[in-house]
Amino acid sequence: MHYGMVVDLKRCVGCQACTIACKSENGTPPGVMYTKVLDQVSGEYPNVRKQFVPVLCNHCVNAPCEKVCPTGATHKRADGLVLVDHDKCMGCRACYVACPYNNRIFLKRGKLKSGYHGKTMTPYEAVKYKEHQDGIVEKCIFCSHRVDAGLKPACVQTCPADARTFGDLDDPESQVSRLIRSRGGVQPLSEDSTEPSVYYLS
Amino acid sequence: MEQSEMVKQKDYWAKSACKMCIHSCAIRAHVVDGVVVKIEGDPDNPSNRGKLCPKGLAGIMRLYDPHRVKTPLKRTNPKKGTGVDPKWVPISWEEALGTTAARLKKIREEDPRKLLVAINDFHRIHIWGWGAAFGTPHYFSTVGQYCGAAYHPVNGTLDGSFAAVNDYDHCKYWIQIGAGDGFSSHLHVAASIKRMADARVERGMKLVVVEPRMSSGASKADEWLPIRPGTDRAFVLGMIYVLLHELNVYDAGFMRKHTNAIYLTAPDGNLLRDERSQKPLVWDLAAKEAREFDAPGLALDQVALEGSYLIDGVEYRPAFQVMKDTLQDHTPERMSQVCSIPAATIRRIAKEFGEAACIGSTIMLNGKEYPYRPAAVNFYRGALGHFDGGLDSMAMKLVNLVIGNIDVPGGHIGVGLDHRLLIIKPGKDGMLEPQPHILHPPYAYNEKPYSYQLMEWYPIGIDPGHLTADNVLNPEKWGFDFQPEALIIEHSNPMWNLSATNKVAEVFKKLDFIVAIDIVLNESTDWADIVLPDLSFLESHLLVCIEPPMVTGHVYRRPVIEPLYDGRDATDILSELAERIGFLPNWNGLLNFTTFLTSENHLDPNTRYSNLEITDRMAKSIYGPEQGLAWFQEHGHSTRLQTPEEMYLPFAAQGLRIPLYFNFVKETGDELARKMKAAGREWDTSSYLPVPIWRDRHPLHNMPAEYDLYAFAFKECQTNFSESTTIPWIDEAISCMPIHLGVMINSKTARGKGIKTGDLLKLESPFGEVTGRASVCEEVHPECLALSNGMSRWSQHPVGKRQVTTHFNKLLPAAVEWTDGMTGHLETSTKVKVTVISQ
Repeated sequence: MHYGMVVDLKRCVGCQACTIACKSENGTPPGVMYTKVLDQVSGEYPNVRKQFVPVLCNHCVNAPCEKVCPTGATHKRADGLVLVDHDKCMGCRACYVACPYNNRIFLKRGKLKSGYHGKTMTPYEAVKYKEHQDGIVEKCIFCSHRVDAGLKPACVQTCPADARTFGDLDDPESQVSRLIRSRGGVQPLSEDSTEPSVYYLS
Repeated sequence: MEQSEMVKQKDYWAKSACKMCIHSCAIRAHVVDGVVVKIEGDPDNPSNRGKLCPKGLAGIMRLYDPHRVKTPLKRTNPKKGTGVDPKWVPISWEEALGTTAARLKKIREEDPRKLLVAINDFHRIHIWGWGAAFGTPHYFSTVGQYCGAAYHPVNGTLDGSFAAVNDYDHCKYWIQIGAGDGFSSHLHVAASIKRMADARVERGMKLVVVEPRMSSGASKADEWLPIRPGTDRAFVLGMIYVLLHELNVYDAGFMRKHTNAIYLTAPDGNLLRDERSQKPLVWDLAAKEAREFDAPGLALDQVALEGSYLIDGVEYRPAFQVMKDTLQDHTPERMSQVCSIPAATIRRIAKEFGEAACIGSTIMLNGKEYPYRPAAVNFYRGALGHFDGGLDSMAMKLVNLVIGNIDVPGGHIGVGLDHRLLIIKPGKDGMLEPQPHILHPPYAYNEKPYSYQLMEWYPIGIDPGHLTADNVLNPEKWGFDFQPEALIIEHSNPMWNLSATNKVAEVFKKLDFIVAIDIVLNESTDWADIVLPDLSFLESHLLVCIEPPMVTGHVYRRPVIEPLYDGRDATDILSELAERIGFLPNWNGLLNFTTFLTSENHLDPNTRYSNLEITDRMAKSIYGPEQGLAWFQEHGHSTRLQTPEEMYLPFAAQGLRIPLYFNFVKETGDELARKMKAAGREWDTSSYLPVPIWRDRHPLHNMPAEYDLYAFAFKECQTNFSESTTIPWIDEAISCMPIHLGVMINSKTARGKGIKTGDLLKLESPFGEVTGRASVCEEVHPECLALSNGMSRWSQHPVGKRQVTTHFNKLLPAAVEWTDGMTGHLETSTKVKVTVISQ
């Protein structure tokens, strides 16, 4: 089993539903986005090309973050998910530097003391911030709690365009494998030999 | 499950309906220990199928917004103004309702017209008429301005629809003009993004997007055609010219069978009628004589579409020929001069469109044969939010009519406002009865105006609420002999969403008493004397179904948790005010009509009913006695996919024709002109035309030369509707998106003016000025500035405020001269001059 995600750039309309679904599912504090959608514009008027590029942790097979982690907090599960053990992370940020995709976020100490409306926590934030820890590094976890319950990650579940597909890269008949084959899936920065588990279709 | 049982559980998913925009996607909320921890799309719903847009997903942050109104509030600071702290103090419901009712009762006894009304909660259209029941005709809100005064009446006139969208499942060539369908807005966006993505990627549908700014849709299109604002009609009229005068491509069969294209038309533009029966006449080519359109034995393929026929010395032409002749000077070359799209491109797109239409082909659906026209033009407010917007709308319909794609598989499909779907009733002349007033009945004409929005002089328009400010401030202009004293607002924000913001502020200053019903404070409630807290959508009951394309039925909005604060449902608040003020019988009578109550469910005139009771009666009236509120509590929603019979050619099933020639519009205009002349009033009815043409006399395109750049506002999926611009998650997401962060200006234009990204600019129109940061980019027409609504807020609510507020509406006018004569739509683009304040 090797979980991965395929992002179809033809389908993505840049609506940011994934961004908000992730915030809502994971209850991340202000400034912390496990995923977001970048706007890329190239060309000159009137020959302009605009693409929306969702980015998230690539859950690399050869994860540079895992290699540099001195405490073993960043670890790879047998199913390919790269996760951070909150109890083991000491916040040294070596992984933050090592990630070539800039997809790791450091939660400063005190970060969880205030929410989107300052010190007044909403009932939602009061519940969800308990799942986080300050002074450590966080990132997209492919919604491991949902995956473990047999569900798709929240971004995949909501994507109105069905631009994100999640599944087993080891299974040649899975939807992700078939999409990568038929549409020519490309891994981001594959020359770095990180072997990302996220593929893009264009 | 019953409400009380459901909320007792420790961990549950509750089905409900979204209200983070005006549509009503089905949702489910996950509640753990009484706290909503997640909102998702309802996976069982055939429309959004579990999907939800960013606004809907962010509903939690609206529910738990600490800036919600938690109790009734009273202003203690007598000073009012922009940025002035009202110094709210909490008061009891008894004091709040007592004070409000006493003030409004006095007004009602003196002259009910002294009350202005801004009640425009789109999910609760049933309460819009509260003002009418009170006795005041005014709308001080943007009903028609930002929705579609020029859209809905033309849809209703064409095929009894309220909205329209192309057929996602079958269309193969989709031209999108000034619309967000399938990408950012309109008609259940979470559902339509999926349908559009499937059409684009799975079926290889070609998409051409025509608009001055490269929106999300244009980014995904096969082609983006940048166009000058307010000239979209010229583009499609150029296409029609190519189809009819150069390519000879049109669907004669559809026109003969389903439209009035064959009706003979006199030189004065009126239909030729049989003297005795008054039925329209057509020319029988076989018999070489005029016959009644429905004459027995008349062979449709022998009825003339073209030509000119002499009857008693007068030349009569079929309506199709009149339309064709009328547009004979709308060459691509001339239209290109107007709209800035090259003539060769207009020709190519028209050819591709005509070829893709597969005229003559059919498709079998559920064992029934339908015409198959997989090409269509889809459009919305960007295309028609203009002076002459009615003609814009008609032109967009006409280009579709030419290829015979109205309400057929692959084509341009009418969408109903609600469960009634398209309203198909027999009208005169074998035609469908035009339905320009699906939202509420028309206002009766009167020589002397009685509504500030002049609705009585826009017989097929929708509430030009923007005119209210101008008419309050200049009552002598049309002869208003009363002045407003008070304003009631329910879930509307006239200070922010009306045009001519400075004029609106002047009106607010004149008012002695303002009461607002809402869940958060906004630019308008900042001026209120009393604020009454409504329940949020996650705390209230409603059966709702707003413009559902492809599906029908109702989604049941239910409280997913117990209400957090001391709020009350807006319907209950308005019912109690009606009782206290003394017009409960009028109010109940109106609710009978607006909630579709059958006679056995009618409300007793003198009993005050709760929202729950009314909802139960509504459910039973629509679905039968067994399917009241209890059924919805158990089952959630009643939505289902529309059948092909409901979607395709519903008018033909009743033997009715639709207009290709809009004689209804002409006749309405002629009648208004007669009345206005008799009243000695100067009133421009020149846009009530049966065939849309381009008219050079257009105020937007004839502004003084110093205003050298067009300016317009835009929204994207994240920021549609003000609801989302004060949500912190949305605010955070759009802060990564350059389009929402500054005034978009094309790089070549910026270079010419020495403007760089980040420069502080002053934008001046003849009607107002704003400041804004420049955002130099490639994604906008060089003659235009584009302004996101994401930088438009200035209320006391701390979220969504920018260091520089760039509120586009300040740049717009509010007068009749800038309003579409046919429909009352405001011209929503303007022109500005730009200066750099600082770099």
